[in-house]
Amino acid sequence: MYRRSFKDTKSSLGSPNPNFSKPMVALRFLRALSLVRCSGPGARSPSYRARGIRRAAYACMAASAGPRRAWSRALLRKIRRRPGRGLRRPRAVIRRRRPVGGGDPLEVALRRLVPGGGCMEYCRLLEEAADYVKCLAMQVRLMQTIVDSASHVNSID
Amino acid sequence: MEPPRSSGVGIDNSGEYSPEIAETLRFEEEIQSLIHPSSFDGSAAPTGGGSFTALLGLPANQAVELLHDSGAREPLASRIRVGEHPVHRPFHLPLDCSSAFPSNATLVDRAARFSVFAAEGSPASSSGRLKAEPQDSDSPPLDPIPTGPAKRKDTGRSKAKVTAKKSKNAEENTDGDKLPYVHVRARRGQATDNHSLAERARREKINARMKLLQELVPGCSKITGTALVLDEIINHVQTLQRQVEFLSMRLAAVNPRIDFSSLDSYLSAECGPVTVRNGPGGVVVDPSLWPTDATAEATRRLLVPQFWHIDLVPPQLQPQQSLTTWERDGAAHSQLLPNPTTSLFLYDPANSGDTNVPHRTAKLKTAEDRALNL
Repeated sequence: MYRRSFKDTKSSLGSPNPNFSKPMVALRFLRALSLVRCSGPGARSPSYRARGIRRAAYACMAASAGPRRAWSRALLRKIRRRPGRGLRRPRAVIRRRRPVGGGDPLEVALRRLVPGGGCMEYCRLLEEAADYVKCLAMQVRLMQTIVDSASHVNSID
Repeated sequence: MEPPRSSGVGIDNSGEYSPEIAETLRFEEEIQSLIHPSSFDGSAAPTGGGSFTALLGLPANQAVELLHDSGAREPLASRIRVGEHPVHRPFHLPLDCSSAFPSNATLVDRAARFSVFAAEGSPASSSGRLKAEPQDSDSPPLDPIPTGPAKRKDTGRSKAKVTAKKSKNAEENTDGDKLPYVHVRARRGQATDNHSLAERARREKINARMKLLQELVPGCSKITGTALVLDEIINHVQTLQRQVEFLSMRLAAVNPRIDFSSLDSYLSAECGPVTVRNGPGGVVVDPSLWPTDATAEATRRLLVPQFWHIDLVPPQLQPQQSLTTWERDGAAHSQLLPNPTTSLFLYDPANSGDTNVPHRTAKLKTAEDRALNL
């Protein structure tokens, strides 16, 4: 179920859309939501669906951020790693170019928070963190509005 | 360390000075020895310690040039020398008298170097001196310019060595003058200029990014200090991630029978050309996996927007045109008939009558408009 939604979002990585276009994020997210929901609205528990929705949210956020961002690539990689376990072939991916000694606890914490933050230099980390914060904030606002509108509509009945 | 004068590397007849001049005192002595040369000839009037120009065995223009240079350098020189030696002027002498000496090679080299230094030094010295007071104001524009000549300048913090190594220290010191003064001391032991420059550039980059982050995170502008700002940023990121988690739980708990009917039409109208690019690549996957999924087909139909022009305002009217295409697809769409065809969710027919549907969709549409207009 998740695979499909993420494939959908991942395939649109080729588009050079910046994350400023909120409708793009909304479209992707709602599409992913629908895919998540329709697969089993009655068959799954809400917590299972919640996890799926969360992954969908991160996936569409990363997809709309664009492939030029290190955190979006790392995030999508992390998300897609679980479904693709059976077919994993050894890729010549050069990971962990510069493992940092990690003297500063703040810096270490930031690296853990930002996806893909283990391999970057410090200034790159700050840059990616800024973009990540921006996208996260937009995603949160979007989800909040959806939930609000949904509950609002529900309450109207 | 510099070899003592006596062990000069087989250089000159007086043989009393070393090719490298380590300290001013030693230099003084050398100058003294040179001023009273035993085998000094070829110059006009070897008065031996007398007039300045007389000692110069050089043509007049060179002497004048060197005088000017030394004149320009003198304020700097005085700034350089910790101790006030009376022989600042003749500092150039042995270098310029080199023509008369068999030890010319090294002296000529040094003369060339110092004249070059001096020539470049005068604009840089003034700028360097100016920089001593207004430290940060001009640092960005002036940094590339005095970097070269500033390389050769001493700021008196160290001994007045004339070696290349010393001049490189000087460069850092002078460059440090352009930044807060503290950096000058900190960077004295650097091996090459490029490293310190790169470090400084990197530090400035990091500071710029930190400022950017500060602006993004609410409430960080007032905080001073890198550690607190970082702390705040980390807190903010954690908060956002937790919020995503909670909202996803809420979304999952929300009744999945909600109809986002007109949403797709809105979205496709808004970003139609984009979705056309993306969709056929991506959504093609879906029908193959879910051949019977109504929504997958719905989205696929959605992504061929050229066939119908979906208008935002009356969602019920236009999609009626597309209903015909959808009806062809199968009975799965029949329940979507009362709604606009671009519904994301399977609409529960039990909950709706035809009269309710437009009402709900209109409300939903406005809600989704709000969502997308953020």
